[in-house]
Parts: sequence; structure tokens; C-alpha cells
Amino acid sequence: MNSYYLINLLIYAAVDAMACLGLSQQFGIAGVTNFGFIIFQAAGGYAAAVLAMPSDSANGHFQSYIGGWHLPFPLPWLGAAVVGGALALPFTFLVGRRLRGDFAAVGLLVTAVLVNLLVTNYVPLLNGDAGISLIPEPLQGVLNAATSGYQWAFTAVAVILCAGVYLLVRRLTESPYGRTLRAMRDNDTVADSLGKDLRSLRTGVLVTGGAIAGLSGGILVSYITTWSPAAWGYAETVVLFAAVIIGGAGNHRGAVLGAVLVPVGFEEVTRFIPSSNNLPPNLIPSLEWVAIGLLIVIFLWFRPQGILPERKRAIALPAVAADVQSGADDPQELTQPTLARRSGAGSAGPDASPVVLRADGLTREFGGVRAVSDVSLTVRRGTLTGLIGPNGAGKSTLLAMLAGTLPPTSGTISCLGQDVTALPAFRRARVGLVRTFQLASEFKRLTVLENLLSAVPGNRGDSLAGAIRGRRYWGSDELAAIATAEALLRRFGLLEVAGQYAGDLSGGQRRLVEIMRALMTEPTVLLLDEPMAGVHPNLARRIGRELVALCRDGMTVLMVEHELAIMDEFCDPVIVMAEGTVLAEGTMAELRARTEVVEAYLVG
Amino acid sequence: MSLFLASLGFGLVTASVLAIAAVGFTLQFGVTDVLNLAYGAVMIAGAFIAYVINNAGLSVWVGLPVAVAVCSGGSVALNSLVYTPFQRRGASPITMVIVSLGVTLIIEFGVQAVAGGTSVSYHLAQGPTLQAGGLILTAVQLGVIALSLVVMAGVHGLLRYTKLGKAMRATAANRMLARTCGIRTGRVITLTWALTGALCGLAGVVFGIDSGSFDATSTDVFLVLILAAVFLGGPGQAYGAMLGAAVIGIATEVSAAFIPADYKYVIAFVILLVMLGIRPAGLLGARA
Repeated sequence: MNSYYLINLLIYAAVDAMACLGLSQQFGIAGVTNFGFIIFQAAGGYAAAVLAMPSDSANGHFQSYIGGWHLPFPLPWLGAAVVGGALALPFTFLVGRRLRGDFAAVGLLVTAVLVNLLVTNYVPLLNGDAGISLIPEPLQGVLNAATSGYQWAFTAVAVILCAGVYLLVRRLTESPYGRTLRAMRDNDTVADSLGKDLRSLRTGVLVTGGAIAGLSGGILVSYITTWSPAAWGYAETVVLFAAVIIGGAGNHRGAVLGAVLVPVGFEEVTRFIPSSNNLPPNLIPSLEWVAIGLLIVIFLWFRPQGILPERKRAIALPAVAADVQSGADDPQELTQPTLARRSGAGSAGPDASPVVLRADGLTREFGGVRAVSDVSLTVRRGTLTGLIGPNGAGKSTLLAMLAGTLPPTSGTISCLGQDVTALPAFRRARVGLVRTFQLASEFKRLTVLENLLSAVPGNRGDSLAGAIRGRRYWGSDELAAIATAEALLRRFGLLEVAGQYAGDLSGGQRRLVEIMRALMTEPTVLLLDEPMAGVHPNLARRIGRELVALCRDGMTVLMVEHELAIMDEFCDPVIVMAEGTVLAEGTMAELRARTEVVEAYLVG
Repeated sequence: MSLFLASLGFGLVTASVLAIAAVGFTLQFGVTDVLNLAYGAVMIAGAFIAYVINNAGLSVWVGLPVAVAVCSGGSVALNSLVYTPFQRRGASPITMVIVSLGVTLIIEFGVQAVAGGTSVSYHLAQGPTLQAGGLILTAVQLGVIALSLVVMAGVHGLLRYTKLGKAMRATAANRMLARTCGIRTGRVITLTWALTGALCGLAGVVFGIDSGSFDATSTDVFLVLILAAVFLGGPGQAYGAMLGAAVIGIATEVSAAFIPADYKYVIAFVILLVMLGIRPAGLLGARA
């Protein structure tokens, strides 16, 4: 093995590993399927080229390109990263809340195909199909690029930069910001309802991944000194996807392993096929592509988590300190007779307390069917308001409109005196209006504790910039959040499962996780959609008592529930819906006295 | 003006090819819920099957039904061997798209491995050139347009008047509900793969006829046109795809009269991205 071979191998491995780390960050961590990933690497390559090269008139116009600024190293590589990152910005509109992930992926794929077509055909831009050649190597002219010392130094820089990228993505992922990205990956609608701005999160991920891809492209062109559209066809993205899937999406070591196995490995294996045979010239490359396609399908079937699966994040709970605290706190919380307190507040309290949530004339149509028709209601501070009605009465639709998951056809909603009708769900959550979902909606591949922590607003580490600044910057916020989460887990008796994946819990436990997660946002108004469905009656009663206690402290709850015993015991007032309209409102005792309500719902 | 009319003629032919492909794609997606990006690869496989038969001395028009049959059977096999098992396991839509990309590579480069990397063309006389009001079309081009019109009428009749068509529409609208209404959705889905696979093979051969020469990767860009037509009309909407194909086919060719021909696909690309960004349900997808 000569040193040229080794240098070549190491540089390709570094470049591919970098690209795979960027892609893994997007696809494995944040769930953004960027089928156009290769154009970010391509853009970085071209940027590094035209930044480093002299003006295209310098060598007699044998190739034409824009730029030609002849900048010294390392500015071309810096420029490559900047251009790769900036290229992500036009795609912001594709990755918002509304577009399905697979449609956005198609949009990015199509973009990759067409950008390649355009660059291939439009020669003045980047010399078209022929591509750019004679790209200067870094510090060419100062150092002699032909020496093996130079080559080794280049290799070292590439490997160090790759290691730097690895440390960067790890720092991002193992932060509250990274946890938010993983939450978005597991369930974006729920992340939205907890106050996460999906569009800005996804844009951030496209920018970081794009910058990493751009840098890898810059390093690559500086080494091979040529760059043309044939090097970055749309299918090259699929190779990187294959690498990330095989290595293990969401695991950064897996991304590096995948890079070594797939792009580098394929290149190396084909070296051993003798070139002096009678095979058709295109056969081996074609079969390579077939093999990559097969690998993707086979791995997704037999080992979708990859060779190195995403590892579980264990977060240590400060158990000793909490034990002391809970000794004083816990029994009191659970044994306190909540009903007595409530009846005292119930008679005089609700009518006097201010309205925190108001809906006026809310209507929602689904293709001509009015699921909710002209509903107006008010919810007062400190109440645990029940919402009942037969199936199809429009309860969940109403809740979804109140929370911003579903836009109303007409009507207005105000929360705490602020008109929130036009606000998207995540902004309403930030105002303090938070919902839970009727269907299981835990973040499956986050532990129970992480599920809770993911909902905490205002953690300094829950932003790209904050995550980059590191644990020293956000560590104290995190510790405070862990303490809150632990107290909540203890209160609901789920401390033992804090380190388990939420997706592995029983149905009842998952409902609890969801309620606790909503509570972690410290909501002013909490909208619960059948929080006790599938929960053991004893546990349901315990949830009810906790909610009453929270309402006493000033929180407001609007709760959809079918179990009338729960309504009887905890809710006051109760709103009855039927066929999309509000039928009546009052205490359960009052409602039972009204014939139209009984006929609509309470019979039996 | 004559340039405009001449390009309009080309546009009609492209729109005809595109309509066959896009209607097949959109029905496939609507009924089976698989965004099958391997559609373009199956198309080019069909084009090459007809080429092999044509190259053996028979007419393209003999190769055409063979390609249709093979693509139909192949699509059914693709679904039952790959897509359905993944769907049964609860694979997310995005996993399905990645699987379909893997399948794309397998088929497209499998074809290239067998056929080699060079372009081929059918041995086909274009027939007499016909002129009408400034439009200039060859007999073969007219044949392609007529074939497309017949296929569109057939799809319309199928969806509108047959039991299978109604079952397909019901399955597309709500698979669970269709099943509980007594529709054998599994059978409907298999038949849909057979039908859309046939349309895909047909589209592949007429694509080969229309484009003159083609290689194994020729449908990469054509798939963009298909997607643009499908998303313009609304994914899953057969009539939307027809409308989309007409708009995209004519717009790309007419624009080629005014901008360099290499960039004619840009308009399709822009339409697709605008639709994805602003109205992913498509023009006719308001009810969805």
C-alpha cells in the first residue's frame, strides 16, 4: 500500500463522513428527509472553486465561470460552508408545518435533478457539462503541492475538520435543542402544539447540514481540483442515504461507519475488479447502483435501525436530594381531600374569576359537513371545565381549533384577552394555551424523562445558538428542568420508568406522560382530549385530583371526557355539545335536570 | 407565429405522453398510498422491452402490448414483494419513499446493466407529415395523440361507470371505510397496480417513440414532468392529472420556442415547487 493510496482513502473517507454526519443530523435526528442533499455539497464545491480560482480570463477563457476572486486559503473553504448553508434558505417554504414530509422530500429531489440539469446546460455559470478544472490546491504557490509532506498535511487538515464536524453535531444533538429536533422527528404535530416552531427548526437543520455538506464539497474539490455536474447527480444523494441508513440513522458513529462502508467501500471494492476483461464499460458502475438500491431496501427491511442504532440518552436524576423533598411533599399532595376545597371555590369562585379563554361563533366545515357550527363559549380562570357530548358532536374538532391545530372556517378565539385566531399552534402554546391529543402522541424514541424535558419552554440550550455555546451555558436551566420533571414524575408515580422509551410504555402510562409533558410547559389554559381514556379508574381519579389541585393554583383546564363519573366528581362547569353546537352549560346536577341534555347524551 | 404553432404541436404530443404517465401515477398514489418514485424506472424498462422486440425485427406496435403486459405484471410483483410488506409493517410514508428510491436504482441501473449505457431508438417510420392550420404533425405523432385520447376516455369510463372504478375511488377516499363497506380493498389495490403498471408501460413506449432516442436514465427528468402534472392537478386526482399533463406538456414545449430548449423543463419545475409550497392539494384537490 503506497502512501498516495492511503492519502486518497483518508481524504475521501473524511469528506464522505462529513457529508454523512450532516445528512444524519437532518434525517436521523430531525427527521428532515433532504433528497436534495447533494446539491449542497455541489454548491460548496463550486463556491470553493470560484473563490480560489483566478478570473476566468486568466487562462484564455478555456473555461468560463462566475467569480474567480483568487482568494487565499482558507477563505474558499469558509465560503464553501457559508454558501452551502445559505443555499438552504430558499427551501424554507417547503419544510413548514403544512407540507407532508414525503412531499417535501419530493420537492427537494426534483430540485436536485433540475439544478443539475441547469448547471449542466448553462455554460457561462460554471462551465456547464465539462465542469471546472485546474482548481487551485490550498496554499498552492506558497507550498509545493506535489510533495508527500503537503499531501499528508492536507489529509491531516481534512481529518481534523471531519473530527470537528463530528464534535459539533454531537454537541448540537446532546443538547436541549437536539432533544427538540428528535421530538419533532418523532411527532411534528405534537411538537408544534408544545410551542416548537417547526419551520425555523427545520430551516436551522437545513442550514447546518447544508454548511457541513458545503464544507465537505470545498475540501473535495481542493483535493481533486475538478468539479462537474456528473459528480453530483441526484443518485449521489441516495448513496449518502444508503450510508446513513446502513450505519444507523441518528447515531453519529453510525454515520461515519456508513460513510466508510458505502461510498468509500464501494469505491475500494471495484478497484479489485480487473480492468482488462471483456465486460461492457458500463456494467460495473450500473451494478454498483443496483447493489446500493438493494442495500437500502434490504436494510430497511431487516435492520431499519442500522448497524449502530441510535443510543438511549440516560439522564441522571438527582435522586438523593429529591427523596428528602418528596418525603414532605408527596403524601400531602395525594391525601389532601380535594373535593372539599373545590366545592368551596366552586359556588362562588368561577363566576367571579376572569375569562381566560373565549370562543365566538366558531365554525368548522369539512367538505360541506359542519363539524362545529357557530360555537361560542367562555372558560374562566381556575375552573376545571368539562366538555361532553356524543361521538361526532365536534368536541375534538373544537379543541383542535382552540389549540390552533386546525384553522376554523369562521369565528374568533381569544386567550387571556389576546386574539389568537390567527396564531399558529406553537405560538398559542407560547401564550400558554396547550393541548393534548386523543390518540397516543408520546415521542416514541425519547425516554419518559426526555419527553417531559422536551416541553420545557425557555431553556437556554433549546436553540441552535444556545446549543453551540455548550453545556456550561445551558446546564443550569437543564438541571432546573430535570428537578421539575422529577417532581412531576414522582407525583404521578412514574419515576421508575423515567429512563424508558415512552414508546415502550403501557397505554395508561403513555397518557400520563402526555399530561405531564403538557404540564411541563406551565400552561395557563390546558386543553385535554380524553386524558383518561384507557386509564385505570383509580389512576383516572388520581389524575382528576391532581388537575383540581393545579386549578386551585390558578391553572385552567378544559377537558373532553366520556366518563361521566369523572365529570360528576371533578368538573364544574360542564359544557354539553351535540351535532356541532353547544347544547347546555352548567353543573352536572343542573344538566341532569334538563331533558334535552339527557335525551342527547345522558340517557342511561 | 408558425414557430408557436409548431411548438404547440410538439406540446400536444408531449402532453399526450405525459397524460398517460401522470394518470397512471396519480391513480397509483391515490389508491395505494405509495408515492412510487420508481414509476419512471418502470417506464424506461417498458421502453426497453419494446426496443428489444423492435430490434429483433418486429414492429414497435408489437412490442408495445408486450411492454404493457410486463410492466403491469412487474408492478403487481413490485407491490406484493416490496411495498405491501413494508406497509403492513407500518412503515412511514417517508420510509416508503426511500424504499421506492432504492427500487428506482435497482430497476433503472438494472436496465442499464443489461442494455449498456448508450442511447437507442426504435426503428419506426414517422409516416407522412400532416398539416392543419399551421400545426405540423407526423402520422406517428397523431397516433400517439389519438392513443392518449382513447386511454383518457377509457380511464374516465372506468372510474365513472364500472364497479372497479367506483371501488378504486372509494378505496382512495378512505381505505378503512371502503373495507367496512364490503369492498375487497386488497383486490382493488392489486388491480390498481396492474392497471397503473400497464399505463406506465404504455407511457414508457410512447415516451420512447416521442423522444426519438433514449437511454436507461432518460426518465429521470421526465419523472419531474410527471410529478409536476400530478401535483398541479392534485395528487390522487385522475382528472387533475389530465389537466396538469395538458398544461405542463404544452407549457414546456411552447416555452422551448422562446427560451433555449435545454431549459424548457424549468417551467414544470417552478410549477411543481409553487404547488408544493402553496397548495399541495392541487388545483382539483380542494375536496381532499
